[in-house]
Order: sequence, then structure tokens, then C-alpha cells
Amino acid sequence: MIPIILLFPVAAAPFIYFVKSRTLNHIVLIIYALLMSTVTGILYKNGGHWSPFLQTDPLNIVFLIIMSILFLGVAFYNRAYFKHHDIGIKAETEYTIFFLFFVASMAGVLLSTHLALMWVFIEATTLFSAPLIYVERSRSSLEAAWKYIFICSIGISLAFVGIILLSIGTKSVDSLFFKDLYSNAKTIVPFWLKFSFPFILIGLGTKMGLAPVHAWLPDAHSESPSPVSAMLSGTLLNAAFLGILRVFKLMTLAGLDYYARTLLLVMGLLSLVVSAIFILRTNNFKRMLAYSSIENMGIISLGIATGGIAYYASFLHVISHSLAKGSFFLTAGNILNRFHTKEIDKVRGILQIDKINGWLWIGSFAAISGIPPFPSFISEFLITMELFRGHQYIIAGIFFLVFTIILFGMGRSVMHMAFGPADPHLVKASPAPMTYIPQIGFLMLAVVIGIYTPDILNNLLKWASALLTDIV
Amino acid sequence: MIQFLVVLFAVTLLYVSITGRIETYIKLLFLQGLFIFLVVTIESPVLNSLNYIFLMVETLGFKTIIIPLILVKAVRKMGVRREVEPYILNFNSLLITTLIMICSFILAFMSLKYAPQIKPVHFAVSISAVLTGLFIIMSRKKIITHIVGFIIMENGIFLLSLSIAGEMPLVVNLGVLLDIFIGIFLLVMVLKRIHSTFDEIHIDKLTHLTD
Repeated sequence: MIPIILLFPVAAAPFIYFVKSRTLNHIVLIIYALLMSTVTGILYKNGGHWSPFLQTDPLNIVFLIIMSILFLGVAFYNRAYFKHHDIGIKAETEYTIFFLFFVASMAGVLLSTHLALMWVFIEATTLFSAPLIYVERSRSSLEAAWKYIFICSIGISLAFVGIILLSIGTKSVDSLFFKDLYSNAKTIVPFWLKFSFPFILIGLGTKMGLAPVHAWLPDAHSESPSPVSAMLSGTLLNAAFLGILRVFKLMTLAGLDYYARTLLLVMGLLSLVVSAIFILRTNNFKRMLAYSSIENMGIISLGIATGGIAYYASFLHVISHSLAKGSFFLTAGNILNRFHTKEIDKVRGILQIDKINGWLWIGSFAAISGIPPFPSFISEFLITMELFRGHQYIIAGIFFLVFTIILFGMGRSVMHMAFGPADPHLVKASPAPMTYIPQIGFLMLAVVIGIYTPDILNNLLKWASALLTDIV
Repeated sequence: MIQFLVVLFAVTLLYVSITGRIETYIKLLFLQGLFIFLVVTIESPVLNSLNYIFLMVETLGFKTIIIPLILVKAVRKMGVRREVEPYILNFNSLLITTLIMICSFILAFMSLKYAPQIKPVHFAVSISAVLTGLFIIMSRKKIITHIVGFIIMENGIFLLSLSIAGEMPLVVNLGVLLDIFIGIFLLVMVLKRIHSTFDEIHIDKLTHLTD
């Protein structure tokens, strides 16, 4: 099953490159999304592996499911978004090809069972997604693409330094397969583990968008077309997070979890603070969403650093963030297409002009900011509960304070945009169905998860969090 | 002999920090590639044949010939003015690079206690190459020098991976090579695009995106 999803782009790319038809591009993207969902379903049921290097386990299947859901929505939305943009057929075909490879390389990251192979796929995601950011060929998107490739490549190089340092310490194991590392965790020299973990954390943290190495993220998310922003925020950051988790597990098994937790905690809190400051300052709604992604990655790291039930909460938060942010970015794309500006000040009265997108805008805001019945409420509640149980009152205090600031900052902007009198020159028109159905799907799914967590999901998350501490 | 080559590699790092011309930068990259190639050749009996061929291709083909060639072409095509234009004085630059080296050597001899199998000179020089690369990126204005800094970092990482005896599976090695190569290629492509769009390749001009 795994070869199908990894090799589909290789087979499809020459085909669409030579035909160069917008319809075909669209169809291929949707076929790949459907294929991805089907294969993920089968892998969930039966598990699977392709060579010893790629394999499913309870941890990565969660991430694979989120990715395929998000990709499915984005694939349907994609065509409608580009109807408003004047992009040549050649550029659009290249865009589709890079999009396919980008998704495949993310699947590769998730399925890797070997630390260095995972590195290869993570670097590949950078290379394939950089052209996606530059698809609109503007000066600012060029600048964003440059920063993205450069900062992420440096970060990833540092992660590779970390991997080499780690392999010095694993002389007794002489293998970088996760399962070998885990079963021999106790024999790895702690000095090298401690030496390598900051490198790997900084490197993968760059991709995940943790402060202080988040500099590329707001630029890339705001300049890329909305379907790409949704994929970057909803799936790419998760993939990098899975990488950190795999190494974090090694640290836990080696008995160095206090050290690893402290570093994660520092980066998590810093991300929260940085995003709070910039959410208040920015006047660009796509940048605002990007900073919100940094915030949520901060919450997720905070959850992992806290441990206990917060592991479960972190996974739940990953899911709810992906669904909410996917919906948020796609709706932001609709607003951009309608108002032709990214400035918060200039957008007024979305509800008057376009009821559906107005409500989606508010709904996505509710979903991202942890208002019941959305699942981010549960996850954030569980994380704070665990913080209180561990008597971490100061951290919980900072978390609350920063969270309130962010809620205020985002709420102010979102409400400003949604309500108020609209510009009378803008015509009312109902949007094309495919520009809002994916978001409705994402938000409904989030509500279902929030109101009653289905047993399947519950078990999945429990297995995943159990796997974090088990030697498997 | 290997020690000698590694020390020569270290000298190129010092030279990078004081030179002011882009052509010299690229020549130094060529020299670094050559030194790494020689190190690999002399050490080769340890490796099996497939990995050996792979390393030859990577060091001689990519690091020594193709990458400097791509950069030379890019520089000629864009007609970049020659000066590197650092933010700080050359002397201070040299001072910092020397400091980086001293720290790396101290670190290397400290870590020797925990892993007797590493070669301390290799280890120290490669760590200082990674850090010097980072320093070059931070202290220079022109984008092309940033790419050079990045390649110096990658050379350092390659040398570091040679300083440990363990081998990666071939799949992984190939993947790493391909990634780095495409990465550098892509960076040069974007550089050209930036040059034609902004008419300028200073990072000072890349400040459109802020809050």
C-alpha cells in the first residue's frame, strides 16, 4: 500500500507535465487525495510496511489520517481558489506537480522508521514546497520563498549535525532505526544524547515553527496561496513535530526526559510569548493566522513537556489545530479573493457581503481559540489540568495570560473583519460551493470530535500516547 | 597525512574570513572539496566498494567540480560586483573564526573522554567549519556569500560524518546527497531570480515582509 502513495507523483508528474491542462491538473490532485485517504484507511486497519525503512505504527497513523483529511479538503478547494488568480498554464502545471511531491514527501516523513531517512524526507518537503510559495511570482513571495528555503535548510543542516552526534554515542548500536535506538536507549552514552538533542530540536523546531527559529513561518504562510498555507500549517508543522516526538521518546527511554522536557518547555513558552506580541501588532490577516500556528505549536510542545495526560491532549490539539487552521486559511483565501487585500483594516463587513464566509471566519476563530464545543477546548483544559496537578502554577499562569492576550488580539481582528458596514462598491454574490464545503467539513468534524470523541479516535490517541513511553 | 589535509581545510576557513572577493570564496570552496576528496581517498580501505564509489562521486564530482562551477556561472551571469561587503572588519572576522576554532578544539578534546573512537582533529575542524559557515552567513551582506556560507556548513557536516566510523545505509546517503544538491541548486536559482527582480542582491533589500 505504501508504495502507491509515495510513487503516485512519480507516475503522474510526466503525464500532467506533457498534457498541460487545467482540468487534468485538478483531476490528478483529487485522485491523489482520494487515493491517499483510501490507502490511509487500509493502513489504519491492517498496518503495513515497505522495506524496513517505511512502516506504520500507532503514532504515525494519527498524523497520516489528519494529513489525508486535510489534503482531501484542500484538493477540492484548490481549483476554485485559482479561478481568481491569473496564473499561466505552465506555472499551474508546475504547481500541481510540486504539490503532489510535497504531499508524498510529507507521507515519507511520517512513515520513516530511520532517523536519517526521516531527515531526507523533511529536507525534501522544504525543496518541494518552496516553489509552491513562489507560484504568484510577486516580489514579496520571492522574498518569502528565499527565506523559507534558506532558513529551513540551515535548520535542517543543524539537525543533521545532531543526528551525527547521536550516532557517535550509539557506537554499541550502530544503527539509526528508531526501534534499535529505542531498545538500546540505555546503552547510548548520555553525553552524546544531551549534546545532540538541542541540535535536533533546533533543526526540526525550525520546520515546526517554534520560536526563536520561526522567522520563515509568517512570511511563507502569508505569501503562499491559501491552499498551500493550509497544507503548510495543517500538515507540514505536524510532520516536523512527529520528528521531534520520535527523538523525544528516545530521550525519555534513556532517562533524560527532564532535560528534554525543559528544552521543549522553554521553546514552547517562548513561541507563545512571541506569537502573542506579534498577533497584537500585525495588520495582515494571513500573518495573524501564521502567528496563531506558532502559538498552537507552542501549546503542543508545552503539552509534551508536561507529560502524563497532556500527551493525549497534545495529540488532540494537533488534530484540532489542523482542522481549524485548515478551515481558517481556506476561508482567508476566499476573503482575499473577494476584498483583494490582506490588510485587516481594509476588510469590513464580511457577513454583509458573504454570509457563508463570514460565519466560517468566525467559526474557524472559535475552533482555533478553544471555545466549546471544539476539541481545542478539551486539549487546552487537559494541559492546564496536568500543569496544576504537577504544581506548575507559574507556567500555567504564563499560559493563561498569553492565551488571553492572543484571544483578545485575534478576536478583535476577526470581529472587525466580520461585522460592520461593508464597502458599498462590493457586490453581494454567493460563493462557489467548493470554496466553502471543505471548511464546513473540517469544522463539523472538529465539532463531532469535541462533543463526543469517537471510540476509534479515543483509542488511537491512547495508543499513540502509550507508544511514547513504551519500548517498541 | 590525513591530519595534514584536515589542517589545510582549517586554513581555508581562516582564509574565508579575511578575503574580500567572491572569486576567492569560490576557489576556496573548490579547495575544500578537493581536500575532502583526498581525505576520503586515503581513508577508503575502511569502506565497502559501493559506498566508496558513492563518496568519490559526491566529493570529487559535486563538492569539487559541479557546485563551484554553478556558482562561478551565476556570478558571471549576474555581473556581481566583486567585494563581499561584510558587516564587520576583516580583522574582527578573523578573530571570531579563530575563537570558533579554539572553542571547537577544546570541545573536541573534552568529548574524547566520552567517545574514544572519534578523531579529535577531524571533529574539531568540522565543528568549526559548521560554525564558521553560520558566522559567514550572519556577517555578510550579499546573498551569494550566504550560499557560500551554507556550502561551508555542509562541507563541515560531511567532514563530521567522516570523523565517525559508522556508516549510513546507502539509501540514506543517496537521499542526503540529492537533498543537499537540489537545495544548493534551488538557492542559486532563487538568487538569480532575486537579482533580476530586485536588481540587487543585498539582503538589506529583502525587508519587504515585516510587521
